[in-house]
Amino acid sequence: MPDSLPHPDLVAALPRLRRYARVLTGDLNRADDLVQDTLARAWEKRRLWQPGSDLRAWLFTIMHNVHVNQFAVRRREQSESSLDADDGPVAGWEIPVRATQSDRVELAEVFAQMGRLPVEQREVLILAAVEELRYEEIARVQCVPIGTVMSRLNRAREKLRRMCEVSPSPLKVIK
Amino acid sequence: MSSNLPLSDDDVHAYADGKLSEERRARLAAALERDPALAARVAAIRRQNVELREAFDPWLTEPLPRELIAGAQPPRGRKPPRGRWAMPALASAATLIIGIGLGWMGRGEVLHLAGTPTTFPRQAALTHALYATDPNRPVEIWANEEDRLVRWLSKRLNFPLHAPNLHAMGYDLVGGRLVAGNEKPGALFMYENADKQRISLLVRKDSEHTSETAFRYALEDGVGVFYWIDDACGYALSGRVDKQQLLAIARVVYGELAAADAAAAPKP
Repeated sequence: MPDSLPHPDLVAALPRLRRYARVLTGDLNRADDLVQDTLARAWEKRRLWQPGSDLRAWLFTIMHNVHVNQFAVRRREQSESSLDADDGPVAGWEIPVRATQSDRVELAEVFAQMGRLPVEQREVLILAAVEELRYEEIARVQCVPIGTVMSRLNRAREKLRRMCEVSPSPLKVIK
Repeated sequence: MSSNLPLSDDDVHAYADGKLSEERRARLAAALERDPALAARVAAIRRQNVELREAFDPWLTEPLPRELIAGAQPPRGRKPPRGRWAMPALASAATLIIGIGLGWMGRGEVLHLAGTPTTFPRQAALTHALYATDPNRPVEIWANEEDRLVRWLSKRLNFPLHAPNLHAMGYDLVGGRLVAGNEKPGALFMYENADKQRISLLVRKDSEHTSETAFRYALEDGVGVFYWIDDACGYALSGRVDKQQLLAIARVVYGELAAADAAAAPKP
């Protein structure tokens, strides 16, 4: 039972935590608040971290839970649309495309369309395709069975592909 | 996952993500040969993965606000330490962390001081610190596809690039990636020696009016950076390497690039 977290590793994980927070909240300011809340929670729960395990995945799990709880509270307050809504733009993707520092059209498109996916599908895509977590780890982060992770991944990829199909660079046919 | 089960949709995703077991991977590869539609689907997933990384990786090299760095510090005063033994224990724990984590510490410190406007050497050091220790994907394309890597980066940066050969200095190419720049993207080539020590070369197109410079040296929180501007391109060689050694490698890089330029120039 550790009495502390490896501080250098925690600092090194900050850029990835911040990215995950932005994908979850869709809002740059709220993302930094979420990172702060996650760090505070991580220090409170530091005795639950097992030294030698993946600190990054552990922090993602905490962040996911903090966000779900905050989201539930806000939803009760504002009676917003469902968390699992599968259609239509998702409330609160407020990040301008230039925040990605990318000048490429297709990347701007991917970025913008990500904001139209339900939050749990955005999460799976970021964790699987960008952070390259194992599917079992993603299941642990989201606290769902692995089958749910796979179906979310499948839906997210299909949807993103369809939405980006209107972009100017069509898929090349592979012979 | 038993290897006797028929191939499923999940296997297609795992295969595209490079997460499928050896045996099932071979079976799926065989299925791809027979089924062009399936092969196209795998290619589309992989292309989407690359685009997602390219769209969301630039966030990683953004300077961090000081409040977040402070938030990563152990909370103080929130809970009184248990008894008088706690303080010495904490102090020695901190020493231990600093001791074992010197390499990591440097990485953290680079991020720690990143609140100021980013200069080219600082950006190079930051990028090096971030990716040289990346457990999953230090590079986007590995050295076994060097030609594809160089072609891809040249296309992205919109000018011909070369990955200098540093074998004579004991370093071999690991691979490369596209990285965020101030206005335009940059290319990062990463190298590694037999001791797994990594150095990286950051290349970016500078504004038209920048004049050429000699080698300059900056030490950015433990990461040494030799940088120079040549032909409106900025180059920065970064690593946790002794200054003289890094300079020697920088000279080889410069020579290799000059040779490649001369070879590519049209004959009069």
